[in-house]
Amino acid sequence: MPDLRTELCGLELAHPLVNGSGTLDALVAGTLGLSAFVTKTVTPQPRAGNPPQRIAETPAGMVNSIGLANPGIDRFCEHHLPRLAELGVPLVVSLGGWSREEYALAVRRVGALPQVAAIELNVSCPNVDTGCISIGTDHAETRALLERCRAETDLPLLAKLSPSVADVSSIALAAAEGGAAGLVLINTVRGMAIDRDTLRPLLGGGGGGLSGPAVKPVALHAIYHSHAATGLPIVGMGGVAGAQDCIEFLAAGATVVGVGTALFRDPGLPARIVAELPALLAAGGFDTPGQVVGIAHRRDHEPQVELEGAGR
Amino acid sequence: MQPAERRRVAVARVEPVGAYTLLVLRNDGGDVGRPGQFFMLQAVPEPAAAYLPRALSAAWADEHELAFLVEERGAGTRALATAGEVEVLGPLGQGFRLDEGPALLVGGGIGAAILPWLARLMPGRCNALVGFREEAQAVCAALIDADTEVVLEPVLVTRPLAERLPVAASVYACGPGPMLQAVAALCAEHDVPCQLAMEAAMACGFGACYGCAVEIDGEWKRLCVEGPVLEAERILA
Repeated sequence: MPDLRTELCGLELAHPLVNGSGTLDALVAGTLGLSAFVTKTVTPQPRAGNPPQRIAETPAGMVNSIGLANPGIDRFCEHHLPRLAELGVPLVVSLGGWSREEYALAVRRVGALPQVAAIELNVSCPNVDTGCISIGTDHAETRALLERCRAETDLPLLAKLSPSVADVSSIALAAAEGGAAGLVLINTVRGMAIDRDTLRPLLGGGGGGLSGPAVKPVALHAIYHSHAATGLPIVGMGGVAGAQDCIEFLAAGATVVGVGTALFRDPGLPARIVAELPALLAAGGFDTPGQVVGIAHRRDHEPQVELEGAGR
Repeated sequence: MQPAERRRVAVARVEPVGAYTLLVLRNDGGDVGRPGQFFMLQAVPEPAAAYLPRALSAAWADEHELAFLVEERGAGTRALATAGEVEVLGPLGQGFRLDEGPALLVGGGIGAAILPWLARLMPGRCNALVGFREEAQAVCAALIDADTEVVLEPVLVTRPLAERLPVAASVYACGPGPMLQAVAALCAEHDVPCQLAMEAAMACGFGACYGCAVEIDGEWKRLCVEGPVLEAERILA
């Protein structure tokens, strides 16, 4: 049977399935069988988040406008992190901010804590007006942010990027040049819902971020091209809803795969994906998930299974 | 700490109840929790236009059946009302604390859906006040096994409530946000204990999505974690 153990930037993971930041509160629901826990993005100051309504259902997905609701870094480090450390899986702390110096201060603080295995720099939240996504949609700002934060910690820095740019792979390259150890692709796609009764924006924040199966092709495209541009390990996410999706994300270039919106529907999904992955890998002739990573880029790969309806 | 496993259950029967639909699921001994807790329900197969499950509190529940009164609002609730099987996650959240002594149940619109179970668990000591927009919605009041007063708009349920207060009873209320605010204020004014079951759009139901934030204790908090049943004073500004 295939061995699911996966290495990501020096982290030893039991298998290649984690959560997307902001899609699970492990202190309420547990880790659901995921191999690492990625926290909701923490900002320097506490944030109440955006006013309701915060979510809208859309075809094959949803738009959210949560607005980085979080307890702030002080409370997070004092009250949340010690309890998260008891979960028994590596912790990836996601950080957000409004300036390079804010990120750097947060990285220095979190990077010094022994419970933290890696840091995600969220430079892609679509639900705030300044900072964050305005950094991660600019090549020079992204490179400079990574360089500045790189100087503050030895922990792996993962840059979480937005697909809402002309060419995410060029931003990924800027993050790599700045010292990112890996990439997290993709954050939600900028979107909006209109209230059918009032004909005004439905979400309290106006716009929001689209997620769910609707964005899977966007995610695959971003992962494929960022893998080609940087060769960095990628935590791939965006519309993952089953084991077959995981295989496709690995093939596009992800080393680890994240689930998010599909988890909202079914907290049993991670365990089911992990149970189904070995047989799916074996059917493709693979011994490890690592053998699938980036295979979509290789011209010498001969599929082991006859593809139905592929005109072969 | 883990949310309950999602399970697939068969629909035992579906009946129109005036403007609403009574959806009765076969339970087969599953945990039903307590009144005011909720379940995430998704029709099988899911309709293309409804990716997310719907959060509903039971009208009543026991080891044999889980009953929900459904107001068809869109593709998700419409699919539930015609489903053969349903994926069920729950019970979730905080339900009602059942006090000793007399109970006054107060419902507005589809919020009346959760009152029958309370009346069943507190037999002989419940009165109910329920308000609806139209006659067809008021048909569901017959499901509440209590001495029930029904009002129709333009009369709001807060009018008979105000007339009865102060009352030597605990109030259990469910309905639209403005109604619950008014009920909370009236009960606070008369020092009557009051619990409210609130509603918010939810994607997950177990604290993951932060979508169901409502103002609780003066801050945005997740209704699925803190509630949906809250002590009334927690929503008073």
